[in-house]
Amino acid sequence: MDVSFQNLVLGFATVFTPANLLYSLLGCLIGTMVGVLPGVGPLAGISMLLPTTFGLNATSAIILLAGIYYGAMYGGSTTSILMRIPGEAASVMTCIDGYAMARKGRAGPALAIAAIGSYAAGTLSVVGLMFLAPPLAKFALGFGPPEYCSLLVCGLVVLSYMTGGSIVKNLSMIALGLMIGIIGIDQMSGYFRFSYGLVALGDGVGVVPVAVGLFGISEILATAGAPDRREVIKPRFRDLLPSKRELKDSVGPISRGTILGFLIGIIPGSAHIISTFVSYAMERRMSKHPERFGEGAIEGVAGPEAANNAASEGALVPLLALGVPTGPITAVLLAALMVHGISPGPLFIKEQPAVFWGLIASMYLGNLVLLLLNLPLVSIFVNLLRVPYRILYPAILMFCVVGVYAVNSSMVDVGIMGVMGILGYLLRKMDFETAPLVLGVVLEPIIEYSFRQTLAMSDGAYSIFVLRPISAVFLVVALVMVLLGLKPLIKKTKDWRERLTEAERGA
Amino acid sequence: MTIDRLSGALLVLLGLLVVWERRVLPLGTSQHPGPGYAPLLLAILLIILGAILIIGGKGAPPLRSIAWSEAPHAAAILACCIFTTVMMERIGYRLTMFIVLGFLFAVMERMKIWLVLTLVIGFSLGSFWLFDSLLRVPLPRGEWNF
Repeated sequence: MDVSFQNLVLGFATVFTPANLLYSLLGCLIGTMVGVLPGVGPLAGISMLLPTTFGLNATSAIILLAGIYYGAMYGGSTTSILMRIPGEAASVMTCIDGYAMARKGRAGPALAIAAIGSYAAGTLSVVGLMFLAPPLAKFALGFGPPEYCSLLVCGLVVLSYMTGGSIVKNLSMIALGLMIGIIGIDQMSGYFRFSYGLVALGDGVGVVPVAVGLFGISEILATAGAPDRREVIKPRFRDLLPSKRELKDSVGPISRGTILGFLIGIIPGSAHIISTFVSYAMERRMSKHPERFGEGAIEGVAGPEAANNAASEGALVPLLALGVPTGPITAVLLAALMVHGISPGPLFIKEQPAVFWGLIASMYLGNLVLLLLNLPLVSIFVNLLRVPYRILYPAILMFCVVGVYAVNSSMVDVGIMGVMGILGYLLRKMDFETAPLVLGVVLEPIIEYSFRQTLAMSDGAYSIFVLRPISAVFLVVALVMVLLGLKPLIKKTKDWRERLTEAERGA
Repeated sequence: MTIDRLSGALLVLLGLLVVWERRVLPLGTSQHPGPGYAPLLLAILLIILGAILIIGGKGAPPLRSIAWSEAPHAAAILACCIFTTVMMERIGYRLTMFIVLGFLFAVMERMKIWLVLTLVIGFSLGSFWLFDSLLRVPLPRGEWNF
């Protein structure tokens, strides 16, 4: 299935129904609120709101969830600019110059450029997604179990390298995630594994309770009770328009941020966070006046915001074309799609064209909706920031419980969410990243299945993984990543990942 | 004791536990791996990574450097999670949320009683109406059908 006018028409025909238009608008609105509120990231937001899509058909559900996803990416910039608090991790870099602009009375233009940059990047990235996903899916149709197993292993290793921090810790989180993913009935032999008589664990540990526990509950555990001092700079609607100079200065950073963000978004790892750091560094290096960065340079807002939104849509390429999530958010999106009977992968675009092209069309529409929504409603979103966290966190806890319970109507899932919450809280204290763990849980059944199929195919010879060229390439990439990750441990030097982690903590 | 050494030791222990618990699962052969094959490989990987953390963890921050200032709140929220897990199907969603939110707002956050009541009634009944009645997501009603 290639890109053609008919496919786009099919997509727009799917989206342009009153109900789907409403879901797209609703998704963008909720997503923006999720992005604006500190402590409710896109991951927890999607997980909590997953049950609201149960009554919808698959196309409407994915349109709503995708709206929440990129809406949250959009909304994160508001808190960064007005409060110097990133609504979600990818808005860390926007804090620096966005807040500096706000302090100088230029909050409006900073918000406007962030919205325009996000719109341009989002729309151009959908074009990239539209042209890249179908041929990639076609290519992946030739993958056998060894290629698929190596691809997933490579994806996990790249994720552990790109996430930042210690690669050994990240790899152990992947191993722990894979261990958790093993719990339940073995799909090849029917044996119950590590379920200790709990029938409810037969289907395994679901990704939604794991993700909500690790990201939602642990966030509440770590932040509840902290002092709630917030200074919010409130922009006026008439001050939103950027000057001609600011618009001109933003064109380059937005273009570069879009290309950079989209390409980095395809790679597993904290792509949307990394892309903003790379974009910021690149803009500062290319600027004739690098000393303005940190003091309110519009390029420092335009580039990272464009990169962030482009990355979030770039991440959908491997998810939709290969069925491989590149981060925890896309992992939850994958779980959400599966709940609705959609299995992303090489056959998805071919077998469910209405859903795929409907999603593409909804993204064009959603980006426009976000641009029109974010600017006029900014003062309403700012008022959301005035809700004290001591009121907010019990409500988030309540939505977490409903979100997790509703997936399978299971109290065991609520219990798993609690356990994962404690685990996530302790892992944060011990400086472990939890994103690789979620990916491990999601990918374990596919990795193990393809691994065992490969060994059966080769009569037990592990050499098949290196004798098949595509599989060998994936494994070489994985090996290079492990070696690069181990280099700072051996040489006792700081690499870019450690500097990135430090910058993230310092923001 | 450093953070990395403790976490490495815990990973090694977990790996050993998985090796022990895996013994009831057939290992199979490399031609036809059984249900115990992947757990064993992963347990070995966990043990190796844990050992690396122990060996390389000398320079890591000490355990006492971890701040626990939010621990009382965290303990209360965890207690709420446990209470919800145990009680929600028995006494129903609305009553459970009423108690949990009431506890958090009134006891942990020391809010005024009228505000607590407004928030608790609004959140517990409002969310039930939104999910159960409007979106048709069945939530537990408990033994009293509430």
